[in-house]
Order: sequence, then C-alpha cells, then structure tokens
Amino acid sequence: MILTSLVLVLLAVLGAPLFAIIGAGALLGFSRADVDLTAVPIEIYGIAETPILLAIPLFTFAGYVLSESRAAARLVRLSAALIGWLPGGLAMVAVATCSLFTAFTGGSGVTIIAIGALLYPALIQAGYSERFTLGLVTSSGSLGLLFAPSLPLIIYGIIAEVSIDSLFVAGIVPGILMMIALAGFCLWRNRENRRPLADFSWREVRSAVRESIWELPLPVVVLGGIYSGYFAVSEAAAVTVVYVLVVELLIYREVPWSRLPVIVRNSMVLVGGILLILGISLASTNYMIDAQVPQQLIELVTRYISSQTSFLLLLICFLLLIGCILHIFSALVLVVPLMLPVAAQYGVDPVHLGIIFVATMELGYLLPPIGLNLYIASYRFKRPVLDVCLATLPFILILFGAVLLITFVPSLSLMFVSQSTP
Amino acid sequence: MSEPDNPERDAPGRAERFGRWVENLLLGVVLALMIGLAASQVVLRGVLGGGVAWADEALRLLVLWAAMLGAVAASRDNVHLRIDLLSRFLPAGWRRLTAVLVDLFAAGISGVLAWHSWRFVAESREFGDLVLGNWPAWAFQAILPVAFILIAYRYLAGLPRHFRQRGTAPGSDPA
Repeated sequence: MILTSLVLVLLAVLGAPLFAIIGAGALLGFSRADVDLTAVPIEIYGIAETPILLAIPLFTFAGYVLSESRAAARLVRLSAALIGWLPGGLAMVAVATCSLFTAFTGGSGVTIIAIGALLYPALIQAGYSERFTLGLVTSSGSLGLLFAPSLPLIIYGIIAEVSIDSLFVAGIVPGILMMIALAGFCLWRNRENRRPLADFSWREVRSAVRESIWELPLPVVVLGGIYSGYFAVSEAAAVTVVYVLVVELLIYREVPWSRLPVIVRNSMVLVGGILLILGISLASTNYMIDAQVPQQLIELVTRYISSQTSFLLLLICFLLLIGCILHIFSALVLVVPLMLPVAAQYGVDPVHLGIIFVATMELGYLLPPIGLNLYIASYRFKRPVLDVCLATLPFILILFGAVLLITFVPSLSLMFVSQSTP
Repeated sequence: MSEPDNPERDAPGRAERFGRWVENLLLGVVLALMIGLAASQVVLRGVLGGGVAWADEALRLLVLWAAMLGAVAASRDNVHLRIDLLSRFLPAGWRRLTAVLVDLFAAGISGVLAWHSWRFVAESREFGDLVLGNWPAWAFQAILPVAFILIAYRYLAGLPRHFRQRGTAPGSDPA
C-alpha cells in the first residue's frame, strides 16, 4: 500500500500525466477492495450526469476567443481613460484590468500575455521602475479568480457540492480586498512618483467607450445575470459564448474565421485535460471514502491540532506548499475531497473554505518552482525566472497578508451569502 | 503545464495531419452543437418559460464527448496536466529513460481504463440502457473505450521521439 503510493508519487514527479496517476490509484484501490473495476469508467461517465459541467467548455472557449481579439487593448484604454488621471493611476489600471480579464479567461496565464504585454512598456514609460513593473504585471495576472465566472470556483463547487452562486457571491469582497491590497501597495511604493498618467479628458473617455461599446454590455449581462440569480451559471456561459462570437467575429472582425479551428482545439484540449482528471478523481475519491481515508486523516489531524485557528494556519501552509507544485485544477481534484471533511470537523464553512482555497492558490501561480505566471512573464518579457521571482516577492507578501485576512475573518466571505441549503 | 499552442515536434506526416484534422473537425462539431443547443435552451426558457426536455440530457452527453475528444487531442499535443518536478533536474540520458518509463505507464493505465470502459459499455448494451428517450446508451458511452484506446496509442506512438530528440526533455515546459 505504502510502496505503491510511493511509486505513484515518484512517477508523478517524474512527469507522468496526472490522469494516469489518479487512474492507477483508483484502479488499484478498487481491485484491492474487490470492487468490479467497471466502477472506474462508471464514475468517469458521471461527467455526463453533472449538468453544471456544461459551463466549463463554454466559458473556456469564450475566454480563448476573447484573448485572441483586441479586447484587452480596448479594456486597458478605457480604464486608463477612467482612472488613469489619479495619482498612481496606471498601476491601478493594471490591477483592475488584469482582474476582470482573468475572471473571464480563466487564469490560464493569458492575462500576462494579453494585458501585461500592453501595460509593461506603458508603466515603464510612466516612470515606474522596471523591477516594480515586472512584479506588478506578473502578480496581477493571477488576480480575479475569485470573481464570476471563474473556472476554479465552478470546479470547487462541483467537487464540494456547494452552490456555485454562493461561491461567486462569497468571492466578491475577498477579491476586491486582494485588488485593494495590491493597488494600495502600488500607491505607497510610488509615493514619490505621483505624476498622473494624463489629465482627465471627457473626449478620451467618450472615444474609448465608443471603441469598446460592443464589449461593455458583456460583463454587465454576465456578472449581473449571475450575481442577481437571473441566469444559472451554464446559461450565463451560453450567453457569453454567443455574445463573444457575434461581437469578435461579426462586428469587430478581429478574430478571423480561419483561426477558429485552432482556438477550438486549444480550448478543448484544456477542457479535456481538466474534465478527464475530474472524472477519474470522482472514482478515486469514491474509493478513498469507501476506505475511510478522510476519517483516518481527521483522526490524525485532530490528535495534533485542537483549535480552528491552528488548523487554518496549517491549512494555509499546506495549500501554499501544494500551490508550489500543483496547478490549480489538479490541486482542486486531488486536495479538496480530502480537505473538506477535515475542515468541517473544525467548523470551517465549505463556502469559506472554497474562497480560502482559491485565494491561496492564486499565490501558487507566483511561487517557484512551477508557478505558471513566473514562467510566462519570464518568457514574455525576456527576463530570467529568478529576476521575476525576486521582483514578485514583495507583491506575494502583500497578497499573503490579504489571504490571512480572508482566512481569519470568515465574514468577509460569508456576509452576503444566504445560509440556506444550496 | 505547458503551453497549449504547442508547435508540432516532428515534421507532421500525412497520418499526423489527418489525425489532427479529424480531431479538430469532431471537436468543432461537438462544440458547435453544444453552443447551439445551450443557446436555444436559454432563448426558449426566456420566451416560453421552459426548454426542451431532451436538450439538457443531450448537452450533458455532448460535454462528455467534448471532454474525451479533448483528452485525446491533449495526448497528441502532450499537454495533459502533470506535476513534473524532478525530470528537469535530471541529466539528459536519465531524462530520456524516465520519459519512456512515464509514457509506458500512461499508455498502460489508459489501456486498462479502455478495457474496463469496454466492459462497462458491453454491460450497458446487454441491459439495453436507453438515453434521450429511445436511443441506446452504449452508442454514446462508446466514446470512453475509444478515447482511452486512442490515448494509449498516442503515448506508445510518441515513444520513438524520446530517442530521436537530443537535449530537450519531451513534455517539459517550453519556458
């Protein structure tokens, strides 16, 4: 048992695809428990019995189409026109646009490529130091995963069986808190350089609005629809995808039709990767529950940890460690099923737990050795990974402070969530 | 996690191009059906106050197909989610060895999953399970064994490139 687990872990760190690792675990577990192994495909077939999953391919595809268009440039121009006149305005533009763009494109690193690439030269031109700019652009690229329609929150909701609408509502204040923390830090660090970007000009605002007039209704319809409860999440996804296709392909015509097969393939490859490990992990989770792994884990943890506070501290350390080595989607399917029952033992609300999880994993994007954003920024801005790490460090500390607040003040997450059953 | 937009490693042969084309075509058809159906459900619900009953079930089956086809395509592009902590620190020779080992493992597990998926489909056929009112469920479930066979084949077919390629670790980050 222990030996096979060690072999699986070794294969995983040597680069075996996770679906094979989790699949092997499930197959071995079920065969040891004398369960017919068709149990595994039956669990994978569960993908076809979970209605909410429809949102994942639709939002992913819409996000890929958006990131191929010039939507990012329009978004930056508009927010620069609206808030660029404030002191330190451009840094705030960076934080705001990155969050919105990441929420819609799902945080697969495209934010740095699409928005960071626009802001990087602009920030340096506006007098921000190169190191500061590098850190800001890299760390902003992971903000926004707490806002609808973020994929990690949707997947957490599916695994934890909590209402996704509640998760979206719970993410609002913590998400804004992380944005404010980062923007505040930018203002403080650049208190000498308070030269505003440009004077406020109604003409520029008008022209920026006119340029992005077709995209402006999208966040209003989607976010308004989801947060107000008018749309179910998968309905919002369907509306988003049709809207994005019409606007980018027919009105702006920035995404050529010939490019569509590549966009379809790239987005569905990501979806296939995520849903496959999700499906297989349904099987492995079932096996672990049969084998009472969560109970054993609870016994082990409660033997050493008595208070909720120390449990939460341990949890954050553990999640940061996981964030260093696992991508957020893999971490969701592997860690959440085990973490939930233990956290429930300490009276942690599952919705709050989801927010803690995603907020901490946002930091994971920035942590070596596998932090995705570090590599993308290093690649995109042609700087060594180590430079990017060092430049990002102060931002990580600030965001870590925000994560601590979010963790230890549950009401930040739960104040607007109705406590009725999902 | 590597970039999805992976350039083909080898000069794409005819079979490679054809396989890719078929995958793209199927993915496109499934996604288009999914978008069309999901959008019309929203419109119907808005106008008539209710969608078509079979459409929700059809959408869920389409999600399964998109997931499995996407997984097959992900194996061709070699972009399945992985941890891959150690291999980048290994010397090139070792890296080649572990890459072969890891791919054989992935192929083996996919093969076992294909076999048990096949048994699952056969049982479902025996019991005469139905979906979408009147259609045999096994026809829709058949994507499971087919996809896993293709994934297993993909990992086996990818083995020779570990020996051709010198220096770079296959499957590791391009960054």
